[in-house]
Amino acid sequence: MPAFAALRQFPSSDPTSETIVAVTPRKTRLRSDSDAAIGSPLRKSPRLCKEGTPHSSPTASIRKCLKTSLNLSGSPQKKQLSEDFVERQNWNPRDETQRRAANEALHVSTAQMNVVCRENEQNRILDFCKKCIKEEKAGSLYVCGCPGTGKTLSMEKVKVMLADWENEECIQYPDVLPINCTSLANMNDIFSKIIEKNHSGKKRSRSTSSLQQLQNLYSQQTPGMKMILVIADELDYLITRDRAVLHDLFMLTTLPFSKCILLGVANAIDLADRFIPKLRSLNCKPMVITFCAYSKDQIINILQERLRAVPYTVFQPQALELCARKVAAASGDMRKALAVCRSAIEILIGDSMLSSLDGPEDQHKPAENVSMSNQVRIDHVAAALSKVYKSPVVDTIISLPQHQQIILCSAVKLFRGGKKKDTTLGELNKYYVDVCKSTSIPPVGILELSSMCRVLDDQGILKLGQSRDDKLRRVTLKVDGADIVFALQGVRFFRNCLQ
Amino acid sequence: MAETQQMKKFKTPSKGTPKAKHPISIDHHIAPQTPQSATPSAINLRRSHRLTAAFPEHRPAISSFNTHQSAAKTRKIFENPPLVLPTEISITPASPPPVESRKKRKFHEKSAEKSKDSRNVKYKHAADRKVKKKVYYKKVVYDGGEFSAGHDVYVKRRSDASSDDEDPEVEECRVCFKPAGRRVLIECDDCLNGFHLKCLKPPLKAVPDGDWVCCYCVARKNGEVMEFPEPQAGKKRARTAREKLLSSDLWAARIESLWKEVDGTYWFRARWYIIPEETAVGRQPHNLRRELYRTNDFADVEMESIIRHCFVMSPREFANAADGGDDVFLCEYEYEVQWHSFKRIAEIDNNENDGERVVDNDADWNSCDEFDSGSDFDSEEEAAYEDKKRNRLSQLSSLRPVAANSRKGQIFGLQKIGAKKIPENLRSRKQTDLEKAKSTLLLATLPKSLPCRDREMIEITTFIKGAICDEQCLGRCLYVHGVPGTGKTMSVLAVMRNLKSEVDAGSIRPYCFVEINGLKLASPENIYSVIYEGLTGHRVGWKKALNLLNARFSDENKCRKDTRPCILLIDELDLLVTRNQAVLYNILDWPTRPNSKLIVIGIANTMDLPEKLLPRISSRMGIQRLCFGPYNFQQLQEIISSRLKGIDAFEKVAIEFASRKVAAVSGDARRALEICRRAAEFLQNRKVMAGMADVEAAIKEMFQAPHIQLAMAVSSFCANNGETFPGYDTLLKVGCKLGECRLLLCESGTRHKLQKLQLNYPNDDVTFALKDSKELPWLAKYI
Repeated sequence: MPAFAALRQFPSSDPTSETIVAVTPRKTRLRSDSDAAIGSPLRKSPRLCKEGTPHSSPTASIRKCLKTSLNLSGSPQKKQLSEDFVERQNWNPRDETQRRAANEALHVSTAQMNVVCRENEQNRILDFCKKCIKEEKAGSLYVCGCPGTGKTLSMEKVKVMLADWENEECIQYPDVLPINCTSLANMNDIFSKIIEKNHSGKKRSRSTSSLQQLQNLYSQQTPGMKMILVIADELDYLITRDRAVLHDLFMLTTLPFSKCILLGVANAIDLADRFIPKLRSLNCKPMVITFCAYSKDQIINILQERLRAVPYTVFQPQALELCARKVAAASGDMRKALAVCRSAIEILIGDSMLSSLDGPEDQHKPAENVSMSNQVRIDHVAAALSKVYKSPVVDTIISLPQHQQIILCSAVKLFRGGKKKDTTLGELNKYYVDVCKSTSIPPVGILELSSMCRVLDDQGILKLGQSRDDKLRRVTLKVDGADIVFALQGVRFFRNCLQ
Repeated sequence: MAETQQMKKFKTPSKGTPKAKHPISIDHHIAPQTPQSATPSAINLRRSHRLTAAFPEHRPAISSFNTHQSAAKTRKIFENPPLVLPTEISITPASPPPVESRKKRKFHEKSAEKSKDSRNVKYKHAADRKVKKKVYYKKVVYDGGEFSAGHDVYVKRRSDASSDDEDPEVEECRVCFKPAGRRVLIECDDCLNGFHLKCLKPPLKAVPDGDWVCCYCVARKNGEVMEFPEPQAGKKRARTAREKLLSSDLWAARIESLWKEVDGTYWFRARWYIIPEETAVGRQPHNLRRELYRTNDFADVEMESIIRHCFVMSPREFANAADGGDDVFLCEYEYEVQWHSFKRIAEIDNNENDGERVVDNDADWNSCDEFDSGSDFDSEEEAAYEDKKRNRLSQLSSLRPVAANSRKGQIFGLQKIGAKKIPENLRSRKQTDLEKAKSTLLLATLPKSLPCRDREMIEITTFIKGAICDEQCLGRCLYVHGVPGTGKTMSVLAVMRNLKSEVDAGSIRPYCFVEINGLKLASPENIYSVIYEGLTGHRVGWKKALNLLNARFSDENKCRKDTRPCILLIDELDLLVTRNQAVLYNILDWPTRPNSKLIVIGIANTMDLPEKLLPRISSRMGIQRLCFGPYNFQQLQEIISSRLKGIDAFEKVAIEFASRKVAAVSGDARRALEICRRAAEFLQNRKVMAGMADVEAAIKEMFQAPHIQLAMAVSSFCANNGETFPGYDTLLKVGCKLGECRLLLCESGTRHKLQKLQLNYPNDDVTFALKDSKELPWLAKYI
């Protein structure tokens, strides 16, 4: 993690003189930042540059990005410096306000003002919008990426930046219409929303649909019409069976006098290619910007940025790194990382409550030890992570009622040969009765068996197929047979049975 | 037989009333309607029920009233009742207050009684004044007004509020300040003032159709200032009762029951109405000017504080009452003061309908006095009292003019049909341990404590408290999962009840709580309108509700009035999964917005529901999970024995046997309770404790698959043609019968001889069923 390390080292190397601070850190900063820019987003940058912004070569874009990030990071850097000089206070998890502050900083809904690690993408979106507004030309852009990678957040940020830019340039600000497509009752409502926003003064004619009205509007020249910026979140909810809505929406931007800038946001990377193939033939395929899953460095960066709002040291750096590495390896979902951090704090609080109950022997421990105990350590994060990522299969199987364990046991026996992958409930019952008889346990009836199988299905251990007849339902194991064997090893009955 | 009929009908309202969650056994409801059967033992029982409901705790408070400020005081005392008041009071009018407190009052208010006798109090029914007991009336004439149960009245709010001016009975014109007289007053729909048609500018010739708004309100809406004309100097403009009510200087209440206290004062039980401003959400744009909300808040108020009648109507009646005067109000919703949620009255009353109709028809019972069963007088006194009561009963029916055939086919109590009175010792027999056990083992009975789920309940409590206790109230989401019958819903609701009492005590801030069961929704989308109706008391279509909720939970309207956090409990969450999962997305997206103050608790059976959902939804759902594992046998044992605490009906071994059996198969507490209840039913008439054998029989009945029982039954059917060879048609018939029972799988009947048959159940089962049949000993050989 080069960026992080550089930032951390730097103040201690040259803590005294402000002037040097102004010169040298820039250099380190430059290097470190370029590292960050190349290190993480580079994985995707070649592909992006091939199809991406036509007016800038890759190096140019990097340079530009660096410039902006420098401008952006100018003030926080200084602030951080001063903060690092001042000894950061120890965080006391038992204090209500301090706890609340930490919790608030790590909550999903508190978005900080500058979205770190997404400057590159933001600038590309911003450039696109600026270009469209300047040229008064319609255009469409498609933003895709996994959940929790800051797409919606970046769009908000772009909106604000756009407003600033327009204030500077004195260009007429276009109407902005943010829509979350899940909240549309009917997919066609999106057109009526656009028309309401854009032309609220005009009378709506009942005879034509709002889509037709929009098409008429954009196919002839009407002077003085404002641009409209439509930000459609969760765009894939517009996919109907005939894909008409999505198609029509994108086609609006291709009309000769269209004033509509469409920014679509969704998870699927190839939504535009798959569902609107006609756009390619018209040569107005939307520009695609991909939000990659966050890398480990980026997650650390963002978490630190958020924690900077709290004037205490809440996390040990190693703890943060563990959280970031785990989350980045699994999904790169920022919401998950935040949730893990929050639950780690809760675990710490629970621990400290317990230890405070234990009594005052805490007090004559060395001071630094106390301060250490007030930070979220690796073990707390590990416990929180295990809540999310650990599969509880073995524990679940161990805690099952005996008859359900027998069912699993007979299912393992049934599938052991490796030739069969699934069976019917009737056949499973046969095996189950055999197993029961071998140890003279009275078996339960088939109805009871099928209801037990349904419970196992709910717990995600078996999978029951659909069938009109109970006996003919397909049964497959959803967990590995080895897991079941491992879990049931402890009981001699099952061990004998499985041998 | 009349007895059983009424029993059934009387049970229904307890289900319908929203608060009837207390462990009230059925006999509790039935008891009041046959007062003559209530002997001391039954009374004690009933009283103990009351004690558990903590009812008498605030009764002494009432008795300490000053007579003048009674209305205001009661209101205050009942503002935050420590526990839920029993709402079924309309059915059980005799709520026995502790005797001690009543006697105290007798001494205190002796003087008040004397002064009251001078008042103009008439009784419709000649009351027996010698009996020093609480006497219930159907109708009371008081200060010239006639009041009866079910009427709506204005009630004084403060003692000084009424003294400022006399209530004008006639409304004045807002411009010329003269009463209506012969001319027509027209009411503005906005400010509710009355105007003479002539006094308006420009004057109106006739009353216009539809809504009409006066010129003052029109001007105010346009932003101009147009003052109402001031009355002449020295003459104060009198405010009507309606104005006072809407500016919360008066209360409106519905009389639930009327009675005379032992000291001669007249009291009534009031069900309060409140104006929209007094609800948690405040007045909303959709509220009409004359709208009131009925609450589930009751108080005992002295008759003295009644001012006069008002009329609270349902929307339909209100629409028809075009010129009903000034005291007409509209009430469409009931407001739950504890949860701050709204329910449509029509829905509540639908559930209660049966019960209420019976109460109305059974006029004699309702109007005749319900003696105070709390006192412990001996049997002779009681018998004398019975006589008196019967006399009065006959007086009553002769006094009231009734249509000739209105009572045909109705049965009024045992005396009326000439049936022999059932000996009291038979009916009032003490409930045996077994019966008690059966009633406590019912699934519907709410246990006093929830054992074995302490850890989970603590976790839920910390989750909710962590969310609602701080100012910011960050939204969060909890997913509760577990197999059926492991107490998921019950634990969450128990936590909510505990929190409720903490809110009442003032240790945490108030919040609103909306509970939804996914099974009760007609379609998943309907959840929006249910949530919105629960939060604001206004029913809209789901599309509109979605937009409104979106606006509510986003931070655009920071200045919104209702800033209390909101807890949303969704049971059976998995039923909300639609094809594109938009409903779940929206619900789980709200807590992630800033300032939403929304806490979502979802309950479902499936463990891996979040993983089955779209990744964007599970990402928003967060990682807070809570698993309710199946109970093991020790836990089941503890649950059963905690329910049976103090009741000596089951052997310890029997309980253990039942819980081990259930724990081996499913760990479902419901099933364990059912088995024990069934076992108790088996030894109905034997006076012993339930033992292993009974539990065994119950388990056999429950676990043994029906097809085995069926095969046994059919085998006797086959026995008829055991020796003689059956003809082909008999065979076919038998085959068809077996096919209908689904023991055999047959092809469709048209192919007769070529029909293919298949056994539907495993061979072993059939063998087992047929092996031991006595009629066909030879059958075993074949098998």
